Amino acid sequence: MSNTNGQIYGLTILSPIVQDHVLDISHAIELRQYLATLPQDHTSPFSILDSTHMARLVVMDDVVYVGAPACEEHLKSRYLVFETNFDGDLDTYLSRMAAEIGDVVDSVWKHCVGYPGVTDTGAFIAYMKRCQIDTTFFFADVNDHTVKENLKALQVQSALAHFIAHHQGLPPAELQRAFGQLLCSLDKAPLPPPGGLPSEKTPAEDRPHE
Amino acid sequence: MNAVTPMKTWKTPILRLFFFALGAIPPLQNDLKNLSFIHFARWVIVRRTQFPVLSETQPREQLKYDYLIFFSNFNGTWNQYIDAFSAVLARGLNVIWRWSEKFPGSRPVTGFKRYITLVQFDTDYYYNAYPRAATNDVKAALRVHDALRDFARSSQQISPAEFDTAWRQLLVRVQPDLGSTGVAPVGT
Repeated sequence: MSNTNGQIYGLTILSPIVQDHVLDISHAIELRQYLATLPQDHTSPFSILDSTHMARLVVMDDVVYVGAPACEEHLKSRYLVFETNFDGDLDTYLSRMAAEIGDVVDSVWKHCVGYPGVTDTGAFIAYMKRCQIDTTFFFADVNDHTVKENLKALQVQSALAHFIAHHQGLPPAELQRAFGQLLCSLDKAPLPPPGGLPSEKTPAEDRPHE
Repeated sequence: MNAVTPMKTWKTPILRLFFFALGAIPPLQNDLKNLSFIHFARWVIVRRTQFPVLSETQPREQLKYDYLIFFSNFNGTWNQYIDAFSAVLARGLNVIWRWSEKFPGSRPVTGFKRYITLVQFDTDYYYNAYPRAATNDVKAALRVHDALRDFARSSQQISPAEFDTAWRQLLVRVQPDLGSTGVAPVGT
């Protein structure tokens, strides 16, 4: 089993969704409605969980019938699929989920069978591990850098491109001085927020070539 | 992208063996790496008896097939992705999916796209920590970062004339990696 590739962990969770035939709106629909309201940018809960490279939540309604001569079969439950790619180890990540985005975790997994809540972190971790399916093959193109390192590199790339475009033809001494200032400002610059800013709010200096 | 395909249970050990080889012999992943537009991808074999049961009242699945679930985090449009898969990775894809029921092969691409359309299911929520950067952007940015760190270290105590020469060498080194990032074009 290969849940890891380099320093990236690939977690796959299948949580059965509660079936209650008395409800007007099923848990699966309510869950989908909630997921549609979650922000995807720097205000996303996964931006708080800042070791997350990429994550998805999917309501899996059924398996697929591919046509005769294959047999047609169906799932008896719907499943919430949680697929995430993050830095570090599983226990730390799950503990952080419980501690830092517990309200969102509650809002999502309260629709799932046997969910114990996040108050007891040990119980939450045990529940998630019961729902975990080991990854058979995990591919990570960049597997040796953290989210923070990638964000820093992207910030440096953008700043250097901007610097080069605006300092062409300077005398060497002036260029050297300006370069020193660039390094200072890069050292002090806060990391861009994971998840990115909404497009209309992206500062012009982050789009040097547009 | 998410896709789920049924497999006869006797076939899954064969596929597991192939994935083991793919993990154990890194050069076999070269085509996948050289495509360079997939951040992360995974194949998960779920045995027919492996769907999690969390309560005694939860109905147990009664399935004949094991299932192969595929998740991919890629840049660009669906059509670009499937076309590139079919054009570059046809042999590798066939080795992976030939064990799934009614897989038509990854070429010709029309039948392949029909099959993928049938077996994929939509994502309800998606998060990306660096949504404006393609895989190549991330790799390029890491190279620029390394180059700048080397240059900053080696240019601390040099004269302006030496700096000028070293600066030009830096520009030559990083210029292929200075493309800007941004919102992906809308595909058709």
